Amino acid sequence: MKGFIIPVLLIILAPFIGGLVHGLERIVRARMQRRIGPPLLQPFYDFLKLAGKRKMIVHSAHAFLGIMHFVSLWFALALLLLGGDLILVIFLHLLSTSLLILAGYSTRSIFSHLGANRTAISILAYEPVLIILAVSFYLVTGSFETAAVFNYDKPLLLEMPLAFVALLLILPVKLKKSPFDVAEAHQEITGGTEIEFSGIFYEAVYTAKWLDYVFCYTLVYLFAGNNILLGAALILFTFIYVNALDNSSARVNYKQMLRFSLAVAFSLAFLNLILNIVI
Amino acid sequence: MIPVILSLFIFPVITGLILLILPWKTTKFIVIISALSLSAISVYLFINIDQPYYFAVPQYLNKVVAGFDILLLIYFGWIALRLKNWKIGILSALQLALLFYLLRVLPSSHSMQFMVDKLAVFMYLIINIISGIIAFYATRYMEEEDCSLSRKKYFLSVMFFFIAAMNMVVSADDLEYFYLFFELTTLASFLFIGFRKDPESVRNALTALWMNQAGGLVILAAIFFIAYNGYGAATFSNLMANGSASGVLIPLALLGMGALVKGAQIPFSNWLLGAMVAPTPVSALLHSSTMVKIAPFMILRLSPVLKDTPVAMVLVALSGFVFLASAIGALAQDNFKKILAHSTIALLALMIMMAAIGTPATILASLILILFHAISKSMLFLNAGILEKVFHIKQTSDMDRLGETGPFTSLAITIGFMSLLIPPFGAFIGKWLSIETLGSFAGNKNIFAVFVIIAVACGGAVLAFLYFKVLGIMISRSGEHDRIPFENTGTVFSVSIYILLVMLFTSMLALPVMLTGIFVPVVSGLSGVPLMAAYSGFTLQVGDLAIPLLPMMAAIVLFPVTVIVAMFLRFKKVDRAKEYACGEKINYSFSSFYFSTERVTPWFSIIGVLCLIALLVAACI
Repeated sequence: MKGFIIPVLLIILAPFIGGLVHGLERIVRARMQRRIGPPLLQPFYDFLKLAGKRKMIVHSAHAFLGIMHFVSLWFALALLLLGGDLILVIFLHLLSTSLLILAGYSTRSIFSHLGANRTAISILAYEPVLIILAVSFYLVTGSFETAAVFNYDKPLLLEMPLAFVALLLILPVKLKKSPFDVAEAHQEITGGTEIEFSGIFYEAVYTAKWLDYVFCYTLVYLFAGNNILLGAALILFTFIYVNALDNSSARVNYKQMLRFSLAVAFSLAFLNLILNIVI
Repeated sequence: MIPVILSLFIFPVITGLILLILPWKTTKFIVIISALSLSAISVYLFINIDQPYYFAVPQYLNKVVAGFDILLLIYFGWIALRLKNWKIGILSALQLALLFYLLRVLPSSHSMQFMVDKLAVFMYLIINIISGIIAFYATRYMEEEDCSLSRKKYFLSVMFFFIAAMNMVVSADDLEYFYLFFELTTLASFLFIGFRKDPESVRNALTALWMNQAGGLVILAAIFFIAYNGYGAATFSNLMANGSASGVLIPLALLGMGALVKGAQIPFSNWLLGAMVAPTPVSALLHSSTMVKIAPFMILRLSPVLKDTPVAMVLVALSGFVFLASAIGALAQDNFKKILAHSTIALLALMIMMAAIGTPATILASLILILFHAISKSMLFLNAGILEKVFHIKQTSDMDRLGETGPFTSLAITIGFMSLLIPPFGAFIGKWLSIETLGSFAGNKNIFAVFVIIAVACGGAVLAFLYFKVLGIMISRSGEHDRIPFENTGTVFSVSIYILLVMLFTSMLALPVMLTGIFVPVVSGLSGVPLMAAYSGFTLQVGDLAIPLLPMMAAIVLFPVTVIVAMFLRFKKVDRAKEYACGEKINYSFSSFYFSTERVTPWFSIIGVLCLIALLVAACI
């Protein structure tokens, strides 16, 4: 990512790109199920439709926290793309997730509460892994700043393969994809924290999910160093992997999710860290 | 300058005495006046003292100090006899024997008994300002306490004796003096914890007493080794001067152990967890500005000689373990004060760890944590007291609907928890700096650092989860309560919370200024080498550490705006909807996850004891 223009463009267009990824995802998933699926721009049609709905909220604080979730996530993403400090980025991402959790807790809706509880559990599942990944990046590149990673001239994938696997294992948690979509679980808790948002206010939470796509795929891209082709390949691979997994697996419960991510993903990240030091 | 410093020692004692004599009606007035003047003195000293300032007191005071020591130990021995507690008895007898021996052996001519440096004045700020607010709060809290008027006066006066003892602890250079003041804080906390006189209070007070007595014993042992190794008078500065002498690790390890006791680190954590039986201002005082802060203070004081030694390594390992373990232990708790206590122990572990590593960046992190933790924790505990007295809630599971009945209290608790968790508050900066520094250690092929990173990363995530667990029950309100006025908890309660909230937000907004104005001078004062702090563009360069300011400042704007606006913003021309509940009409009460950690917690103390043994072994090799 040379210069300043590309990151800034990416930041400004992030919701749009995320929307396209979401549209593509719906097509790919449909094709995997031998359906045709919606048009690519369907997320944007949904967006426009939602904007025209009657405005309804549970209470103001709840609606506002949803909007701030979007704003702070965008901010964290901007810092990630501009080459900021990775630990700071992770904490800012935690800030934005906290706001969503607080929003979920602020209503007296059971599903909203269950969703917020489960989102808090998923923080426990992925946060330690992310921090260890950040330390691994530091050990390889000598800096906590993502700018150093973007300019690193060797593919980081080869130097920290286990960390990449660990990231792949927690991505479904972060992206709320099966088998780890307990936080959202439409059939079970009807969307969790999202349930009480509607119309134009749901827009914020909806587009925040698009931002999360960009955020997660940027994390994946980090493993390519400055090799754009490899980065594209990694993103493509991860995209297909996440959707294939989502299509082919059943949801586990939150305990299984926590146990799996702490036992497997966390251990892999830990092992990778040790290897990075020893070698 | 000496009279000003001495006034910090004497003034609170006088206030304590006056409070005992004058009628209860005047209490509030006296407390406000003394709190304000103590804060003013500490600010004055902070501005005016730059270089370490040594001073001596008349020689006859040495005899007085020794006399007080003996009296105190005899008092503890009497308590042991009266309440038939053999642990306290043995510990007091041992201390008494060792003390008599030391008084005979040690050179009787003390040079400079007190040393006030930048670290000490930094501690003055925290001790006097925060404790002043807590004392003010206590004037209202104690009104509703079920005890006689003279007991209430006695409570407040002990509070001021405690402040005096704390001011002296942080300024003592002579270890004999330090030992006395250390024991005085032990005495004060013993009196406080046993204040309510019911069997549980007495039991917990005794636990606190014997554990802190163990701390006193190791300090005496440290004095013994300093004398035995022939470093001259037993002072901190002599210990520093002999930093590379052989055998110096033994007194260091012993002093470190004393710090671990005061800091309630596992295996000594029980005394602090038991302290919650006392009236809530006591918890606020013990947890935020006094008592436990002796631990990071002692390690910081020793950090120039402690760093890079095997002892420091063991301290780091132990505190890394405690950080994770007490966060896990907290998950099983339901009592609000107990949850706060566990999180105090965890954050203290982080402070001790940072102080023990001892590089400028980590010392900075430790200081930032000390300050922010003091503000946030005192506010949380004061709110716990309000919950108790106004809302009659002690357990978190009873907090359902607090968001509707007590919106202001629930907002304050939310802000308090968030300030221990996310950017841009100090606790986050502490965690951030610790991960980055440990990362740079790991970069030097230090496998040990990896385990500490793991502990910090996991412990941080568990703490985050813990706070959400509490918030989840507390903040919910239904749509009909969109516009609710703040509850009225009374002038004193709300004023003290407002002061702390304002302090929290201003210290957060002023963080870039405070970094160069408050923290960096303390760090340079401690390490002896001036630490450079300069702005270059949008980064603040502190030593070899670059703090990016722009994202920090943006986060600083983001968070308060979110929380405060969310509280006051009302969307007009938007319809209100009922919550979705599948068409059912049932009144739900909310609760959160329950984790049973009783199976693992016994192992924690075993690991803690093993770490203590390792500490001694590391010192002896």
